[in-house]
Amino acid sequence: MAKTYDYLFKLLLIGDSGVGKTCILFRFSEDAFNTTFISTIGIDFKIRTIELDGKKIKLQIWDTAGQERFRTITTAYYRGAMGIMLVYDITQEKSFENIKNWIRNIEENASADVEKMLLGNKCELNDKRQVSRERGEQLAVEYGIKFMETSAKASINVEEAFLTLASDIKAKMEKRLEANNPPKGGHQLKAIEPTRKSDSWLSRCSLL
Amino acid sequence: MDFQSSKESPSNKFVCPSDRQLALRAKLHTGWSTGKPGSPLRPEEQAVILSVIRRNEALETAERLRVGRLVERLEKLKHRAAECGSHCCRLCGQTFGLLGPSKLICGDCQKAVCSKCSIDINVKSPKHKEVWLCKICSETREIWKKSGAWFFKGLPRYEIPIKSSSTRNSLRESKSRPIKTTKLGMQIEESSSDEDNDTVDRQTVGGMKREESFRLKAMGSFRSFSNSIFFNRQISSGDVNQQDWDTMSTSSALGYCRRESANTRRGSVSSTWSMSESSSANSSNMNQIAQQCREPLLGWIELSLNYSEMDHTLECSVLRARDLPAMDSAGLADPFCKLNIITPEGTTKQLKWIRTKTVHKTRNPEFNETMTFIGVEPEELGNSVLYVVILDDDKYGHDFLGTAKVALSTVYSTRPYRLSVPLGTEDQYSIEAGSSGPWPRGQILVALSYNTKKRSLIVQIKRCINLVPMDSNGSSDPFVKLHLKPDSHKKKYKTSTKWRNLNPVYNEEFNFEARPNDLDKQSLILTVWDKDIGKSNDFLGSLVLGHNSKGRRLKQWNDCLRLPDHFHEQWHCLSNEQPPH
Repeated sequence: MAKTYDYLFKLLLIGDSGVGKTCILFRFSEDAFNTTFISTIGIDFKIRTIELDGKKIKLQIWDTAGQERFRTITTAYYRGAMGIMLVYDITQEKSFENIKNWIRNIEENASADVEKMLLGNKCELNDKRQVSRERGEQLAVEYGIKFMETSAKASINVEEAFLTLASDIKAKMEKRLEANNPPKGGHQLKAIEPTRKSDSWLSRCSLL
Repeated sequence: MDFQSSKESPSNKFVCPSDRQLALRAKLHTGWSTGKPGSPLRPEEQAVILSVIRRNEALETAERLRVGRLVERLEKLKHRAAECGSHCCRLCGQTFGLLGPSKLICGDCQKAVCSKCSIDINVKSPKHKEVWLCKICSETREIWKKSGAWFFKGLPRYEIPIKSSSTRNSLRESKSRPIKTTKLGMQIEESSSDEDNDTVDRQTVGGMKREESFRLKAMGSFRSFSNSIFFNRQISSGDVNQQDWDTMSTSSALGYCRRESANTRRGSVSSTWSMSESSSANSSNMNQIAQQCREPLLGWIELSLNYSEMDHTLECSVLRARDLPAMDSAGLADPFCKLNIITPEGTTKQLKWIRTKTVHKTRNPEFNETMTFIGVEPEELGNSVLYVVILDDDKYGHDFLGTAKVALSTVYSTRPYRLSVPLGTEDQYSIEAGSSGPWPRGQILVALSYNTKKRSLIVQIKRCINLVPMDSNGSSDPFVKLHLKPDSHKKKYKTSTKWRNLNPVYNEEFNFEARPNDLDKQSLILTVWDKDIGKSNDFLGSLVLGHNSKGRRLKQWNDCLRLPDHFHEQWHCLSNEQPPH
């Protein structure tokens, strides 16, 4: 019997080639790191179950190839994602500049209310830094999303980033359902009972 | 999966490289001529990707089963619910009162429940009172969360885990759809499912197959021109799926049922469908028409018929429908069927249409319901037609999904048999069936237009008809309130009050400032009220138009956004449900 879980969230990692998406995922799912660079072929995913507020959440995290030539395959997986991690490399100016292209890509292909988050990876390489922390924060504010600097190698903020994204999705879900609006249409029938008012003495007046 | 999309195919000579590609090329000291814009995937890459996809499929199968278990549990819960009125708990059926449990109203279904059968959900904002949910509604919410339906705005595909019985339901959903090319006309299905009445069916089908040949006749009328074209189709006795065109004749009228020649045994079906392209309707190019017919526009319905000569009853089982048109923005519908018999005089036999249950959130509903028509004389069978109309269930109106007509001439003295009928378009009977629903609250005529200059939504309240009398003089004093929800401007409008009038004409226009993007998330809420002096106004009816609407209401809303600066006028039924403010 497989491990039971309460919710299944599907997340997606995108960003330029070589920014460390696979490493981030490897750190999060296996708590390990590999220095050799193996370009991801098309798509891949990893599973990890986490616990938030007593609820078991199974995260299916899709890792995508950053290379342009896999773009048609990777974009096919945008639509199913509830949360997307946008990753850039703080030592690569270009990967940061491309974030806006990735955002546009999300807008075109992903579901409109997908939860997004910006990650500046390789933050342990402070001496080679090309993108300041402030610029990352600024961009995140611009898009109204959360931001973190991470390091898959030094295991900084990776766990936190995924937990933040998952809890944001969970909060959104609860807000949508726990508020006073029931699931629309759903598996239920609305009670339709005519509400004819009872005859009060006032209604006998012919004016009313 | 097609890995070689047009973008990546080598035949695509030039695609402007992206900045990133150019940067990479600059590093590699390669120029424009080198480096193809995208090379097709190598076999080993394909293998890697396929293995990932397979891994994902395994995961999704498990997920479908998990959702299936949740749905099954909910269905059981619903099944056990007492549902015996407002004075008893919806679930356990205990009567409320001094001795019994105290009465609570479920926040979702508005039904009465006892405290034992409900859960208090703590809403964070302080202005809300505490909200109670009955176990069914809280379970429904849980399913929405657990299955991801909250995000994707509809339940995903699921499979109910296989047990001895009641397993058929959604296994079928996960099966691949039947091959389209075999769908025209009518199929007699040799079903291998283990349904109760199936043993009889299978024998019948088997029996039929042993006969030398039988003919099925499907008549399609192309509405585009005045001609109707009749197709006679033959299904060879050996292979049910092998269908070929028999004859085709043109006629100017659509006859319902025609007895076939001597070798006809059963299964005369007539069905009307319309083609969106009218080009080839009167050309005699058979292939072309066949081509068009391959894609039935409105889907299919499966029926099983049984006439009992002894008690003069016609049993009609509505088994399932497939590929129904989508009605809401999530691409789903809530279909149900209404049945009646149409006499040779063209009138409906039964005053009241027989109705099936609604199957929610699906375009491939499994009805599995048997309806019985009593007092059907054998003589009248010959020229009568069984009329099935599928409608979409919504509190603001029943939108049309499709109709099926089955000639009853062949039902007589035959064993129960199953047939699959393509659905046809709306006609007088389906309109009659659709409007005979529970709409005692009258109707309203509304025109919507998005004005791009003013950047606002213009709503014209034209008129209402057949409103409910609320005052003791047998009339009402109606006015219409309208607002958008959610609206940052908090604009609310009211029409004038038409005194003592159940069919008021307003022709009043209102402006809501809103960007088109906002309107994607907003709904227009119209409520009709009876003006009373000296006491609170009485509620007469409501209508909600917006992105969450379905059918005609969604169409009007979308049309208004898609074709701005034009008025889109539409009649709507008023609901007796008061929308929350």
